[in-house]
Amino acid sequence: MADRIIKVNAYTTFNLLDGEAEGHGWTEDALAVLNVTSGDAGDVVLELELDNTETEQIPAHAERVRLSPSEARELASELDSYADRAEAE
Amino acid sequence: MPTDVENWKDELYGNEIRDHLFEFAEKGWDAIPEDEHDEWFERFKWWGLYHQRKGQESYFMMRIGTPNGVLEPGQLRVVAEIADEYARGPAENPEFGDAYCDWTTRQSIQLHWIKLEDIPDIFEKLENNGLSAQQACGDSWRNIVGCPVAGKDTHEHIDAWPVAEELHETFKGDDDHVNLPRKWKVSVTGCDQGCGQGDINDLAFEPAEKTVDGETKLGFNVRVGGGLARKEPRFARNIDVWVPEERVTDVAGGLSALFRDHGDRDNRFNARIKFLVDEWGPEKVRKTLQDDYVDFELETAGADLRDQYTYNAGTGEHGDHVGVHEQPDGNYYVGLNVLVGRQGVDDVFELADLADEYGSGEVRLTQRQNIIVTDIPEADLDEFLAEDLLDTYEPDPHPFMRGSIACTGTEFCSLSIVETKNRQVRYARWLKDNVDVPDGVEDFHIHLSGCTASCAQPQIADISLRGMKTRKDGEPVEACDIGLGGGLGENPHFAEWVEMRVAADEVPGYIQNLLSVFEENRQGAESFRDFIERHDADDLTGLAEPEETDYEDPYMHNTKMTWYPYAKDDDFDASPAPTDGEGKPIASADD
Repeated sequence: MADRIIKVNAYTTFNLLDGEAEGHGWTEDALAVLNVTSGDAGDVVLELELDNTETEQIPAHAERVRLSPSEARELASELDSYADRAEAE
Repeated sequence: MPTDVENWKDELYGNEIRDHLFEFAEKGWDAIPEDEHDEWFERFKWWGLYHQRKGQESYFMMRIGTPNGVLEPGQLRVVAEIADEYARGPAENPEFGDAYCDWTTRQSIQLHWIKLEDIPDIFEKLENNGLSAQQACGDSWRNIVGCPVAGKDTHEHIDAWPVAEELHETFKGDDDHVNLPRKWKVSVTGCDQGCGQGDINDLAFEPAEKTVDGETKLGFNVRVGGGLARKEPRFARNIDVWVPEERVTDVAGGLSALFRDHGDRDNRFNARIKFLVDEWGPEKVRKTLQDDYVDFELETAGADLRDQYTYNAGTGEHGDHVGVHEQPDGNYYVGLNVLVGRQGVDDVFELADLADEYGSGEVRLTQRQNIIVTDIPEADLDEFLAEDLLDTYEPDPHPFMRGSIACTGTEFCSLSIVETKNRQVRYARWLKDNVDVPDGVEDFHIHLSGCTASCAQPQIADISLRGMKTRKDGEPVEACDIGLGGGLGENPHFAEWVEMRVAADEVPGYIQNLLSVFEENRQGAESFRDFIERHDADDLTGLAEPEETDYEDPYMHNTKMTWYPYAKDDDFDASPAPTDGEGKPIASADD
């Protein structure tokens, strides 16, 4: 297996989440690391990595999206709203 | 865009931090504005102080840099006195008591539970005795490492101790080098065992022979850009430079200045010089050093001694200085195994007495977290070896005790996500009692690091353990990622990562099973490292199964979410921190 891509320490947002990768005709479950951190261009980085020992369909990798501060706030607001909805169910 | 840390350093960094630190110490913890904690804690590192983690506010770890691990006669007692008086926290560690000293993988000393108010007195005592915490952390020249028995070693080609001493004296507090883009780790070694661990340092001087003007001289080859952290471990690269002893400081200063000027200050994750060497290649590093940073012609690399390296080389031959060894002057040094590098303060006092009684009073710290008593006359050796203290700190330890290294872990560290020191003590004891050591194996290195920062140097161990979390019976528990087959020597090799999220209480069972697989399938007297190297990386995953055994782990819960993992009531709410100079809780403004 390859080493982890995303560093994991006490500042990592989540080090133990249930994740899933889906392609055409396949799905794989894996534990995951999800982290939010500062980018180096005044942006916010959201990064996700599934444990590569549990994913055969895809090579070891992490995925990142870069959000502007306003996009990050929009995402936070959406998460908040959906959290409310999940709790209401 | 410069990082926050760079901006803070631009405002104030280096020697002048001390005045502010002392002012805060005078006024007390509350004098540090809460919204300035991050910037002041970053600066305090330069003076060897790390603020401890959440739940332990107002307490600091103090690192004392002892170049090459050398503690001159009397200094060990000073360290014990400081630990005894100032490093007692509000709760006890069940393995080590309530005051102890840590010997680190960079031949330094770490003390915990240091109160801000005590720092001026501690600094005064350190400095009156030739010790200092200056630049023990932060973005500058860190403690210089090397062969811990430099000057007292039969394997030695050059005595590197005066070289390390000169680098230490030149670059500690030198304004031209106080603010580097990131930490700067230097190793200087003159022996043929490779125990300076130069390969994992930013800058390494390794012994080499060179014919210059018809004369064959001993000096050093220069390597640049090693380091372990995160997913980007690198071995230092050969920049094709040989340097005579008298030019080491010039070349070291040139490379430090090159790093200062060209290192990446916009991204701390890309700041170490290993990334500059990746980008430039060794040839450009050499050319830039020659063109812009030294005023003499650099020699090309000489003939090194790397094919003789035995230290952590996977060959089974010891190179860790544990045991009884003759010095060139006919006296002996005795390397004592200190499990996970921690000694209770009473034991440190006793060891200081023994070093005085039997040796010169000098002791030395190793990069395997052990301690060496030097200068013992042959006539006194047997009596020294019969001392009761050596039943605990053995010169001939069991391989699993000998090979255990652990970082600080969640006990104090802000980065770690698992408990480490006490766990590794329990692992070593369980393995010793329950697992057969494969034939011919005398050194077996198991390094436990609490996160990807790699302070326990897991990538260069036979078995690398790195803190992680998993779920067991539906509950989140502490766990380890596991790597295999790392080590140094002529051809250093980083561990292959093979298992993810093995529950911490199943790690000893995994190691037991793995060693059975090794014993059954090894070819002849094949070493563990060669056995691992013979396998394809993919085949190593699943080579052995994690398994519950009768090993008990009291730290499976989320120790990061306690104020102190061993406290009877470990909830954050039960923490006495922050406290004042007397250790009394400071009432919050709301009370």
